[in-house]
This record gives sequence, structure tokens and C-alpha cells, in this order.
Amino acid sequence: MAILETKNVNYYYQDGDQRRYILKDTSVSFEKGKFYTILGQSGSGKTTFLSLISALDQPKEGEILYNNENIKQIGYEKYRRNDIGIIFQSYNLVPYLTAVENVLVPMSITDNSLPTDVKTVAYNLLDYIGLGKSKADRLVTMLSGGEQQRVAIARALATNVEIILADEPTGNLDEEMEQEIVTIFKKLAHEHDKCVIVVTHSNEIAQQSDQTFYLSKGSLVPHE
Amino acid sequence: MNFIKRGLLSVVRKKGKSIILFAVIFVLGNLIAGAISIQQATKSVENTIKTKLGSVATVEFDYESADKTGEFDFSNMTFLSVDQIKKIGEQPAVKYYDYSTTAYSSSKTVKRYEVEDAAIMGGMNQFQVKGIHYAPVLDFAEGKGKIVDGRIFNQEEIDKDQNVAIISDKLAEKNNLHVGDTMVFQTEVYAAEFSENGQLEVTDTRDFVLEIVGIFEQTAAKKEDNKDNKKEKDVQKMFMDTEYLNTIYTSAGVVNAENDFSSEAFLKANPELSEKDVPNDPMYTPIYVLKSPEDIETFKTDIKDLMPKNYIVKTTADEYDSIAAPIKSMSKLSSYVLIVSVIAAVLIIGLVVLLFLRDRKHELGIYLSLGERKGKVLGQVMLEVLIVSIVGITLSVFSGNYLARGVSDTLLQSQTEETSTNEQMFSSMGSYALQTDVTTEDVAEAYQVKLDSNYVLLFYGIGLGAIFLSTAIPLIYIVRLNPKKIMM
Ligand SMILES: Nc1ncnc2c1ncn2[C@@H]1O[C@H](COP(=O)(O)OP(=O)(O)OP(=O)(O)O)[C@@H](O)[C@H]1O
Ligand SMILES: [Mg+2]
Repeated sequence: MAILETKNVNYYYQDGDQRRYILKDTSVSFEKGKFYTILGQSGSGKTTFLSLISALDQPKEGEILYNNENIKQIGYEKYRRNDIGIIFQSYNLVPYLTAVENVLVPMSITDNSLPTDVKTVAYNLLDYIGLGKSKADRLVTMLSGGEQQRVAIARALATNVEIILADEPTGNLDEEMEQEIVTIFKKLAHEHDKCVIVVTHSNEIAQQSDQTFYLSKGSLVPHE
Repeated sequence: MNFIKRGLLSVVRKKGKSIILFAVIFVLGNLIAGAISIQQATKSVENTIKTKLGSVATVEFDYESADKTGEFDFSNMTFLSVDQIKKIGEQPAVKYYDYSTTAYSSSKTVKRYEVEDAAIMGGMNQFQVKGIHYAPVLDFAEGKGKIVDGRIFNQEEIDKDQNVAIISDKLAEKNNLHVGDTMVFQTEVYAAEFSENGQLEVTDTRDFVLEIVGIFEQTAAKKEDNKDNKKEKDVQKMFMDTEYLNTIYTSAGVVNAENDFSSEAFLKANPELSEKDVPNDPMYTPIYVLKSPEDIETFKTDIKDLMPKNYIVKTTADEYDSIAAPIKSMSKLSSYVLIVSVIAAVLIIGLVVLLFLRDRKHELGIYLSLGERKGKVLGQVMLEVLIVSIVGITLSVFSGNYLARGVSDTLLQSQTEETSTNEQMFSSMGSYALQTDVTTEDVAEAYQVKLDSNYVLLFYGIGLGAIFLSTAIPLIYIVRLNPKKIMM
């Protein structure tokens, strides 16, 4: 059963009095336990699509359903708070907080019920992603790019959500680091039953995913 | 890691920014605190001095406005009639009133009281004989003096123009006079012109006798002269005190009779003068004691139609304006400083916070993308600004107050020096009837910058109000933040 679904989603930018369509009548669905990748040329609208399913923007027409409920009904802010985790290309961590404190931020924001000892959960998460205690207590500005992206992944997981969305999460990392991160995504989908959707330019990553969509001329088509 | 914790960590960990914001708030806070301190001090001076001055009014002929062109015919001048004086005295704002008339009389038996080394009045053994209508004696009712022996007049004595007198304890002591004793005075009529040897000859004289019914003591506050530069003032005050102690209160009728005799005798001795040149009617100076200083304005408007042409009301409050000139200018200055610094604080702090927020756009975008409510993001920013502000404001409560002391000491000193010279020049222009012994020095003494709860509360109120206002601009900025644009 689909956990996330788009139904006839249209999105365009107003260009003078012309509408430049980025997405046209897009209808796709995503399931739990699967690792999805979205490929497409630069400027094709991948980030736009991700911003819609992460409720950072709204479709001009059509609807996006989470567990069959329109996210507009759920409330965009609430949906972001309780139902998804987002990972950005530029890690977007709070610079004056330590790694573990960054992981704790969404835990204080979400309405989801969490274990009482949130701090231990945060440390364990970081440890699972590959950051030991000493690094977890460091200000994030003192971590490498790869380490920072791991903190961002841990943060996306911290609220115990079922959907993980990532926009070119390895764009700033070397291949070795990229592979480690992809391995984490695969584990999240297959061992933890998450729905992982990753926008990427890399065919290698796409090949490792369960399903790849190709975005071109406003439509998302399944690859192969 | 909720917004409160984040705010606290942000303040502590981003020290540079916190210190800049603190410095801005501290500097502006000092200005505001100083201005408020001075404001409060000037206000309390105003209250102290106004109570000291009381609410006394008189009605006088206004020479300045009547004689603007210099062509006013003073022989056409209308006088304030007793009827008019009484009508004005019946106004609801009036507590009690008196209208007195004065004669200067000499005596062969009673000697003036003089302060030991004062030879100012050398030779002239004259007394101010004050004929009054208000039996309890206005000066005593107003606390200028109090009866220490005998009694005040009763209304019958006043109404029947009896030869009763109240004199000062000093005068009584000097002349060994007691209640029940009588004193003999002379009304002297002088020639119209100086004689060849440069003296005014006495052309006529007659005796009148007063019986002492009471003895009063001067109760004006005796101040210690602790400063050398007060010497000049002391001489002036001593002179006035001496005059007062040599004043003899009696019924108005007695004085009127003596003055009538005077002018008649003068006319007889100078037949070339007409009665018009020597007005025979008593010229009264009414003194109205009002119920409270707040009544002054209503009193002024109420009696507008009861006064003859060209007459004006003068009150002790007018005196305040000249006495407290340095305080007034300080009060004005401080209110300007206050207004300007509050506006500056709102704008400057608003801009500083806005600049810092632009710098933190990313961080705020993160919270929003994680689904944080805008209210809480706002809350975090407010909290951060508030923590720094409260530290800044709390420190400037004390330093601003301290600063105000220093500043007002210097200001007051220079202003007082300036006005004392002016005051001496103009003191003769003030209404004689309302003369007070409250001086600019009294005002300076009453001026005190205090660190009391009123001031602290007011400052916190204004300070925090300004902070809240100044965060209104950044507030709009946060509400308009679009996380998609920032993050993706
Ligand atoms: N605010 C905007 N106003 C107008 N056009 C925009 C705006 N934002 C993006 N676009 C356009 O929309 C199209 C899709 O942009 P989008 O960022 O989704 O592409 P993308 O597939 O993520 O590209 P990349 O691979 O380079 O990240 C682009 O042509 C872009 O120029
Ligand atoms: Mg993109």
C-alpha cells in the first residue's frame, strides 16, 4: 500500500504572463520498505518535486496524499513535524549546536511520542550512523562534510518517521563517503521499513535503488 | 532542544553577537535611565517647591500691559474696590483671604529690633504697620508666624477699627513690652520737596496708640548657612526677616485713618495739588489663599470678569517659574533626551536584531523546515534579545542613575549661577505681596536624583517596551521567511 502518493500534481512558475510548467499531471506513489531515486537533468524540476512532497511548497493543482490523507488537510507544518525527515545537499545544521544537540532539535519539535531518554536515543542514532560519542559532542562546524551529512541523516531519523526525503545528499561528498551514505539509505529502507526518496545525479546510486523515476518535461516516468 | 534551550545556548555560544547587542542596549539604556532619573527628580522638586510656595493669589494692576504705548493716563486708572475684593474672595476656590493696607510710622518710645551687627537702617526708627481685615491674621494662618503669647484678633476688633496690635517676640523683648501694654506711634507728614540741606522736613505729625493683644514668633524655616557663596543671599534674607520682625499688625481701620490724616495734611501743606494727585482711597493688596494649587487655573478664569480693566492675577505658582528655571530647563532637556533616545533605541536595536537575523536566516529556515511553529521561532529570537536586554537594562538602571547624578550636578550648578544673577535683577518685578523666601538654592537643595522603586519600574517599563517595539520589525521578517527558498 502506498504511503505517499501524488495525484495529478501540477506546478508551474509564472514567467511574465506565461506559465512555465515544471510538473504536469504528475501521479506517482511510494511505498514503505523501498529505496527510491529520482534522476533528471539539471533544471528539470527534481528539487521542485521534492519541495512539494516535503510540504515546503504547495502544488498549484492536484493533491499529495500521506496514508491516503491530503497533506493540506494534515497541515503542512504538522506534516513536516511528524511525518517526514528531510536531508539537504548543504547539510543545514544549526552551527552553534553540537551534533547531538542538532539531533535533539526535531525531537523537541515533533508531536510523535518518543522514548523518555531522548538524549540516549540521539547518541545511539549518531553511533548507528557512524559518529562516536566524542564527535557527537562536538560543534557541527568542527565536523567534516561527510560527518555533517551523517548528523543530518540522524536528525531526519530522530523523530521516528516513515518517510526520508533527500535532495542530492552526497553532492558535496567523495565517492567513498557517498557509498557509505547510500548503504545507510538501503539499510533504512530494507531493515527499518522506511520509505526513502533520494534525488540524485548519480547513476551509480540509482542503480542501487529499488525504483528509479526519471523526470523530464514535466513528467515523472519509472525507469526500466 | 526546545526553543528556550536553543535561545539560551545561542546567547551563550555566540558571545560576539551577544556582546554587541548588549553594548548597544547598555549605551541607550544609560541615556534612557539618566533621562528618566532627571525627569523624576525634577518632578519631585516641582511638587516639593509648589507645596512650599503654597497656592496664594493676588490681583494687581498690570502696569506693563496697561502702559504698552507709554501713553497711559494713570489718573484715569480704576482701582480695585473693596466690593470687588470681597466678591473675588467669595469664589469657591478661595480658602480665606485678606486685604491689607500699610502705613510706615515712627515711634519715640518703641525701638526697632535689629540684628546685632546690622546698621543698615541707620537712624530710621520706622515700623511697618499692617492694617488687616482677616482677624486670624493671614500670615499666621499660612504658617509664617505663630502666636506665642496673648491671642489673635477677634472679628469685632477688626470690624470696629480698634487700636489692637500684635507684635513680634523680638520687638517685645527689645522694648520690654508685654500683652496688655500700649505703644505710641507717630504718623509723620513730609514736605513735597527736599529742603536745602537735603532732607525731607516733617510738616505735620500726630500720635496714635496701639494696645498689644498678642505676641508672635517667626516660624520661617531657619536654614544653616553652610556655603560661603550664600553671603549675598543671607544679607537680603536678613533684611527681609528684620522687616518682618518689626511689623506691627493692627486693624485696617486704624491704618486707613492714619493714611487719611496723612494725605489730608499733605494736601493742606501743598494747596497747589488737587485731590486727584493724592488719592485718598485706601489701596488694598488682596491676598487670596486657595484651597489647593490645582485651583489656581479655575480661580483665574472664574474671576476674569470680576476684576477691573488692566488687572491681572498673580500667584505663587508664577513665582515657581522664575525660581525653578534651572529645573524647568533640565526637565525639558531630559524629556527631549528621553524621547529621542527611546526612538533611537527602537530603531537601532530593531536594525541590529534584523541584521543578526539575516545572518541567521539559514538557522531559522532549518527550524521552519523541521515543522517548528513560527511563534516558537519568534519566541526564541525574543528570548535571546530579552536575556541580553534584561542584563543591559539592569546594569543601566544603576549606571544611568549614577550618571544622572553627575550630569545634573554640573547642569544645575551652571544653571543656578546663571539664574541667580537674573533673579536678583528681576526680584523687584515679582509681586511684593506674594514674596516668598523660597529661592533657587532651595530648589537646588530639593533636587535629588533618587534610585527608588518608582524609577526602577518606570525604566523597566519603558526599556522593555522599547525592546518589544524594536523586535516588531524582525518579527515581520520571520513571518515572511520561506524555508524552501532558504534551504533548497
Ligand atoms: N523561484 C523560481 N522562479 C522561477 N523559476 C524557478 C524558480 N525556482 C526554480 N525555477 C526554475 O524551475 C526549474 C526547476 O528547478 P529545480 O530546482 O526544481 O531543478 P532541479 O532539477 O532540482 O535542478 P538541479 O539538478 O540543478 O538541482 C528550473 O528551470 C529553474 O530555473
Ligand atoms: Mg535541485
